[in-house]
Formats: sequence, C-alpha cells, structure tokens
Amino acid sequence: MELMAQQVAERVVALVLDAIDIDALLDRIDVEKLIDRVDVEKVVERVDVERIIERVDVQKIIQRVDINAIIGELDIDALVEQTELGAIIAHSTTGILSEVLDVIRAQGVGLDDFCFRWANRLVGRKVTDWPKGPPLLVEEEAPS
Amino acid sequence: MTIGRQGNYAGAVSRLAAFAADVGISWGLFTAAVALLSVATQLFGGTTVSLTHHQILAIIAVAIWEFLYFSYSWAVSGKTVGMALLGLQVVTAEGGRMTARQAALRTLGLVLCFLTLGIGFLGILFQRNRRGLQDFVAGTSVVYSWDARAARLRFMSHTEFSKQRDAK
Repeated sequence: MELMAQQVAERVVALVLDAIDIDALLDRIDVEKLIDRVDVEKVVERVDVERIIERVDVQKIIQRVDINAIIGELDIDALVEQTELGAIIAHSTTGILSEVLDVIRAQGVGLDDFCFRWANRLVGRKVTDWPKGPPLLVEEEAPS
Repeated sequence: MTIGRQGNYAGAVSRLAAFAADVGISWGLFTAAVALLSVATQLFGGTTVSLTHHQILAIIAVAIWEFLYFSYSWAVSGKTVGMALLGLQVVTAEGGRMTARQAALRTLGLVLCFLTLGIGFLGILFQRNRRGLQDFVAGTSVVYSWDARAARLRFMSHTEFSKQRDAK
C-alpha cells in the first residue's frame, strides 16, 4: 500500500512538472522584488571570509603564474603615458630650466632699471615721462 | 619679480649679458667648426688645417662668421641665441618686425660701436629710447620679448603642481 502511494506520488509530481511551463513561471516572477527581499547584509555576515582566505594557497597560485610572461606583455610606454610619471619627469625638467631662465631674466630686468635710473640721475635727468617702449608694442599692451 | 615688461625697451645689463653669451656661443661654434674641418682634412686629405699659421685668413673667417651669426639670427627671428636666453628681441624703431637689410646694417653698426671705443653703446644708458649707435644706423630698438607675467603664472602652476604631487 505504501509502495503504491509512493509510486502514485512520484507519477503525480512528474506529471505536474511536465505540465508546468518554467519559462512562463520565470516571466511572472518579479526578480527585483525578490532581490529587495533578500537581506544581503545578513548573507555577508554569515560568510566567513577569514576561513576562505585561509583555505587559499597563495604560494601555489604565485608558482603557477608566469610573471615573466606578464611583464613581457606589459606596454611600459603606455603605462608611463597613463600614469603621471611622464608628466612629472617632463614637468620637473622643463620646470627647472624655465625657472632658472626666469630668475636670470628677472635679475637682468632689475639691474637694467637700476643702471638706467642711476645713469640718468648722475647727469641730472628725470626719466619718468619717457616712453616705455616702441609705439606699436606699447599701444598693443595698453588695453590689457 | 618685475611684472608685465613685454614690449618695453630693454636695458644695458640684459643686452650686455646677451651679447656676452652670443660672443661665447659664436666663438665656440667657430672653434668647433674649425676643429671638425681639421679632422676631416686630416682623415681624407692627410693634411691638417690650422688657422694659427694664417692669422689674416683667421681674422677674415672670424669676421665673416660673426657677421653671418648676428645678421642671420636677427633677420630670421629678430633675436640671437643669447638674446633668446635673456628674453630680448630686436624690432624696428616703431616696434615692427625688422628686415634682413636692417639686420645686416645693425651688425655693421655693432662694428662701428667698437670702433668708437664703446661710446656708441652709451645711448643704451642715456637715450630716451635706449638705442645705441647700431640701433640708429639700422633704425631698430631692443625690447623685452620675455613675458614676465606668463613666467609668474608658470611659476605658480609649477608650485601648485608640486603641492598636488606631494598631497598624493
């Protein structure tokens, strides 16, 4: 009797499963709603990360990785371009050079003014109303 | 730092420093060229070229080279290498671009200044447009082409860049 009941149940389940359209069923399920109902925080809490890490044999992984092949495939030039290394090298080199030039020029301008002022003071001339530069260039500069 | 002097008349010290740099550069180039010529003739002809035994020829060669160095540089860009370093430029008296004729005249004017034992240069110190004899001969004047304002911005950007780099 019990065996017969078992056989009937199996047969019924098989018939029911055959009758169900799984795709149609899945279409009717609201996945978003289902995800909303899952408490991800609780799932994460139950995961023992430390235990997983302990089970990973890092040495074995490293031994299996062909580092030389990886380095060989690396495009160092592209890497340098992407990182700020190139910019840093270029910036510091040109920066130093232009800074040195700026300092030399600024010193020159200062000394020019000093000598011009004192030379004309020695001969007793006032230079305040003298033109600063050629008409075309001074006119160009005036609006700024 | 002196700000915004681009286009203003350049003074005596900057111009003297630029001239000194040019003399050094042109002399170095001339010496290197003679040395190269000497090596080349020794390799291919078996004879050595030495200007020390031909002083008149050496003086003529130096004079031609210096004339070419200054007049060509001024004709092309209005500045020599030394002037570019010091941020100077030769322009017409009105401030326009100088011609090749003016460049050649200015080089000859420079020779005239030395022939007057340097008196021709005094105009740079005392004349209202800071023009020397060579400038009067060629109808030119010398201005600062160096943009001190841009230099200051460059300096500030460099400082900012360094700060950002240190912060990372």
